[in-house]
Amino acid sequence: MGHDNLLTVSSLYKNFGKVEVLKNVNTTITKGEVVAIIGPSGSGKSTFLRCLNLLETPTSGDIIFEGVNICDKKNNINEYRQKIGMVFQQFNLFNNMTVLANITAGPIKIKGLSAETADKLAMKLLEKVGLVDKAAVYPSQLSGGQKQRVAIVRALAMEPDVMLFDEPTSALDPETVGEVLSVMKNLASEGMTMVVVTHEMGFAKEVGSRVIFFGDGAILEDKPSAEFFKNPENPRLQEFLSKVL
Amino acid sequence: MDFLNNMAMLFTRYSNFFAEGVSNTLIIAFFSVLLGSFFGTMMAVMRMSKIRIVRYLATAYIEFVRGTPLMIQLMFIFYGLPMTGIIIPEIPFLPDSSRFIAGIFAMSMNSCAYIAEIIRSGIQAVDKGQGEASRSLGFTESQTMRMVILPQAIKNILPALGNEFVTVIKESSIVSVIGIADLMFRTNDVIAITYVQLEALAIAAIIYFILTFTMGRFVSYAERRMSNGTR
Repeated sequence: MGHDNLLTVSSLYKNFGKVEVLKNVNTTITKGEVVAIIGPSGSGKSTFLRCLNLLETPTSGDIIFEGVNICDKKNNINEYRQKIGMVFQQFNLFNNMTVLANITAGPIKIKGLSAETADKLAMKLLEKVGLVDKAAVYPSQLSGGQKQRVAIVRALAMEPDVMLFDEPTSALDPETVGEVLSVMKNLASEGMTMVVVTHEMGFAKEVGSRVIFFGDGAILEDKPSAEFFKNPENPRLQEFLSKVL
Repeated sequence: MDFLNNMAMLFTRYSNFFAEGVSNTLIIAFFSVLLGSFFGTMMAVMRMSKIRIVRYLATAYIEFVRGTPLMIQLMFIFYGLPMTGIIIPEIPFLPDSSRFIAGIFAMSMNSCAYIAEIIRSGIQAVDKGQGEASRSLGFTESQTMRMVILPQAIKNILPALGNEFVTVIKESSIVSVIGIADLMFRTNDVIAITYVQLEALAIAAIIYFILTFTMGRFVSYAERRMSNGTR
């Protein structure tokens, strides 16, 4: 297996009770790729993303991350989650901690960084997203866009090899969507591997190197982004695009 | 004015009755709250266990205890247990210790069920996303509990727990039926001696109120301390 293959998903199935949410999903994510995942709601795209760091346990199938099958119970998932950053639709900043503490908790308690080093790292990252002045405040005092930028910084502070985004702009008001997307664009241009479940077609087209279309729990189309929007083949995708574009 | 005069008379003449009653009520309430909280926490953990049989047992216990009168539970423990051969030990030099043990045991086993539910609902009221965010950073389940969930759950738990403590103080009056000389029991003594009923009960009510009100102030002070800083 080439060292460029960061994530390989094979024969992934996920059932919630009797409902089959994912049916035989296979794909590979290569280092440096920005993969946008689109599809109608209920198509399984969020579930797929949450399987990638085992927030959902797959019913069957394998997920190979950096050569290790993380579905194998013998492997300590906490170790691999450190290298898989996750950003949620609802931000999920820790309400009981300041912005700074949110960002430094992982580096200090998991990676064993000194408080000083972690603070420095956090401030450097906060500067990149323009939120240095918010380091000492609690999440409840931030706007949605600010929360999401802090959430991205919190994930980045663990220096992950891949970042998963679960509809990162869906809970934001239209004015603040732009500030979060521009942070994500910068991240992509720095070469971060990203998997983004999104409804922002503009982002998928412009920033995505590859776009995957989910329908009924399966990948119906998977192409480089330029071609994806120019020559959609699957009739379901054609219908979907005609509605959203 | 007769009523107030009678109260004053009873209170001065029988102050040692009321004092002994209060101290026994406080002993019962204190140990019941302490043990109830300890076992209630364990019961809450069992109630949320991943092991189905443990979860079912805890749920059954909680539902049963909350669904039957404390009076009956107390009777079964004090009169029923010895009939099955389980003798509640009498501790030397502590008068009435087997009654106290039975009373505290019944009160704390009862309170434990309520406290378990308070803790469980407080923990489960914390948004699921908080735990998911913590786990996805690589924190273990117990780190997540300690750092993220519990500090937020405590704010949900504390007010309800304070109510439960107040309830324990009031409900402890039921132990008078198995002969523990608590405030209710000693009030009945005063009534039996003097035939002055309502005035004695009024004194008891005021004393209970002072106890519960003080408890309530303590709890809201703790709540304020807890909410400092965040939100």
